[in-house]
Amino acid sequence: MSHSCATKPLQSNMTTVKNVQNQSGDSMTSNSTRRRRWAMPVAAVAAFTVLSGCAKDAPQDTWQPAGENARKIHDLQVWPFGIAGIVLLIVCAAVGYSVFKFRDRGQAIPKQSHGKPSLEIALTVLPALILIGIGIPTVSTLFDLAKTSDTECVVNVTGQQWWWEYDYPAQAGCGGIEKPIVTSGQLVIPAGQHVLLRISSRDVIHSYWIPKLNGKRDAVPGRVQTLRMQADQPGIYSGQCTEFCGLSHAYMRMEAVSLDAAGFKTWVDNQLKPYTAPTADSKYSEGEALFITNCTRCHQVNGILGTDGKEVIARPDKYVYPGVAPNLTNLMTRTTFAGAAFDLQTEACKTRLWNTPPAQFTAAYLEGVTPQCLDIVQLREWLRNPTTKKPMYADPTKLATTGGMYRGMPNLGLTEDQIDKLVAYLTERK
Amino acid sequence: MFTTGSKLFIGASVIALATAIIHGTTQDNSTVGIIGLVSATLALVFLAGINLWVRDSNVAADDAAVAATAAASTATPPGSMWPLIAGLGAALLPVGLVVGRVITWMSIIVLIVATVEWMVQSWSERASGDAAYNTMVRRRIMHPLELPVLGAIGLGIIIFSFSRIMLYLPAVAGAIAFSAVSSIVLLFGALFAAKRNVGRSLVATVCAIGAVGIIGAGVTSAIAGSREIVKHEVPSFEENTCGIETDGESDDHASRAVAAKSNLAATIVLSGGKLHAEVIGVIGAQDTVTLARSKYSYIRFENLDAEPRRLVADFGTETVDVNGTAVEESFTTCTQAVGQGGAQFLVVRPVLPSNASETPFTLNVPGVEGGVVTVIVP
Ligand code: HEC
Ligand SMILES: [Cu+2]
Repeated sequence: MSHSCATKPLQSNMTTVKNVQNQSGDSMTSNSTRRRRWAMPVAAVAAFTVLSGCAKDAPQDTWQPAGENARKIHDLQVWPFGIAGIVLLIVCAAVGYSVFKFRDRGQAIPKQSHGKPSLEIALTVLPALILIGIGIPTVSTLFDLAKTSDTECVVNVTGQQWWWEYDYPAQAGCGGIEKPIVTSGQLVIPAGQHVLLRISSRDVIHSYWIPKLNGKRDAVPGRVQTLRMQADQPGIYSGQCTEFCGLSHAYMRMEAVSLDAAGFKTWVDNQLKPYTAPTADSKYSEGEALFITNCTRCHQVNGILGTDGKEVIARPDKYVYPGVAPNLTNLMTRTTFAGAAFDLQTEACKTRLWNTPPAQFTAAYLEGVTPQCLDIVQLREWLRNPTTKKPMYADPTKLATTGGMYRGMPNLGLTEDQIDKLVAYLTERK
Repeated sequence: MFTTGSKLFIGASVIALATAIIHGTTQDNSTVGIIGLVSATLALVFLAGINLWVRDSNVAADDAAVAATAAASTATPPGSMWPLIAGLGAALLPVGLVVGRVITWMSIIVLIVATVEWMVQSWSERASGDAAYNTMVRRRIMHPLELPVLGAIGLGIIIFSFSRIMLYLPAVAGAIAFSAVSSIVLLFGALFAAKRNVGRSLVATVCAIGAVGIIGAGVTSAIAGSREIVKHEVPSFEENTCGIETDGESDDHASRAVAAKSNLAATIVLSGGKLHAEVIGVIGAQDTVTLARSKYSYIRFENLDAEPRRLVADFGTETVDVNGTAVEESFTTCTQAVGQGGAQFLVVRPVLPSNASETPFTLNVPGVEGGVVTVIVP
């Protein structure tokens, strides 16, 4: 029953109540407060039931582990959660009982007692035992999660305002990586393997968290912290920076993508394939020229050759605070951009990819952003003025106060025609 | 007009003033003398004034009206130390003017505190006819101010004594001594807690003895001076320079030095004429390290060999345009020389990828054949 229904008749009754106050005035008021007293718990229970239904396909849910490490954390939390629930029930029952039993009926204050050693000792020992019971598996899980001796390959993860960079050192692990790979936004790992992330930061403290795969690890400038990653099956798992890191912290997201072993090898080979220049005198080659004049001071595209025939090396350290901008060599192999905050593919394709069953996922992801799936709108908006899509300190009029440096990507004042050509060029980076 | 008592002070004031003038006009460099004589004049004028005001405190014995109202005929107020302290403060003021600012400030503080306390006390003594009530009123007002300040000063003295003792004792002895002191404190605390009816005076005595002991030891240590603090070489954070040898105490930037020992990008070890890298999360000795671009990477260099050696980070060169001429700029950083068993830190921030350079990026030890670890900057 809603609140307003209850008050209406009550008010009209009030006049009558006034007349017969001596007989029923008391019971009327206590009736209405009793009804209100029940409303809160009932609403809370209802809200809880409704909200718990929301978590059905929550992509960032620790209660749905998809890898060994996340499962360890999950298994660890289930028991204490249960015990805490029981303790909560006991406490609530005891409080409820006391509130009801000793409610004020005008009686004398009940007999008070002071100090009961046996009870005090019991109430100290019992929680201590519970905590020890929780502590032992907690500590052993901590050590388990911190283990690095059984990891099969390494990825360096570096946070900066407001996106994550991944670099894969050359290594024998992960099926072999011959040359280093640099990418951003989406962490690609082989499914079922123990991958070790070496996490760090270029500016402020960030925190790396893919809830379905493992707990959080802070990214602290100047230090390297390790985090194990392992996904049981091919799939895509979302996460976000969990240490407030400034203006666009909320847009600092990331995704982990796991592929089967063969698929991962394909991905690696594709990342390392040599650069092919676009055919001359096309919108693609015009796009490349525009890219060299406007973008390569910050963004690296591996193997891109300047007019002098030498590879163009970006110098982002001169233009942006953290000293880097995302490597765009294989932009279209990822499905999101700018801190995994925006999509490169349409909503329908995104939903399809996220719901692809593990057996088909690797193939689906390796297709990259296909022409049918390409969502050109977001990318165009980004190039038109990045700061309206993602708040950044990139105002060209304030360069005097920042020593010529931006935090994020500035508005480059491109014309629609230039944007067309740049987008054409970028969509070929796959 | 002038009472007998005041005449003496008036005369003395005039003499003091005259002396001050004569002294000031005849002597060079006479500041100290003038300060002294003018202060004396002021003090004497003040006393003369008081004498005039109370008319020498002379009351005719047969004056009935005065006998009823005079202060002497009402209850005697309890003695007060504030006039004494205020006098001390006033006397310190000229001393401060001569000796230095610290004493001047001290005297001003003493004067203000004494005046306020004195005023509150004399006001409270007239609050009612009941002495006990008056005392209570005074405490009500002044304790919230007095107790925290006195407590802070007391604590400050104790803490300062602690610090002097710690600086005086050798590092290990300090730890032992203070474990012992804290155990004794704990012991007495436990004894007092267990025995509920210990006398107040006993507790006070024990605390006082403890405090005197610590303050006494503090004063002695302060006089004896601090122990010799061992000097360690401190990480060199200079970028792109070699050869600057800086020395510092281990206590300098201690937090940074400690932080630089864990979660490093790499530890580079020179052992048996060979250089290898140990990298967090990567198993086994490495001959290559991958360092991210434009990021500060902390590197520790350990020399296990007999010869003193230094680690050099060589991150290639770049041709830069300086006023129209091409200048070769090199990205090289070094540690200081490290003796056997020693370690040094190096902070590097390569800004260019290693494939932009013709020569490979390295961490190397000059003069050692196998002393090279390759650096990859993707
Ligand atoms: C002043 C340096 C700078 C310049 C010049 C610049 N960018 Fe960026 N760009 C950035 C930074 C920094 C980011 C990362 C922003 C973020 O995600 O917070 C970025 C992000 C991007 C992204 C998203 C990449 C990803 O994987 O997340 C694209 C695409 C992009 N820029 C395209 C371009 C193009 C095209 C140009 C040239 C027209 C250009 N940028 C010029 C600094 C720059
Ligand atoms: Cu962040």
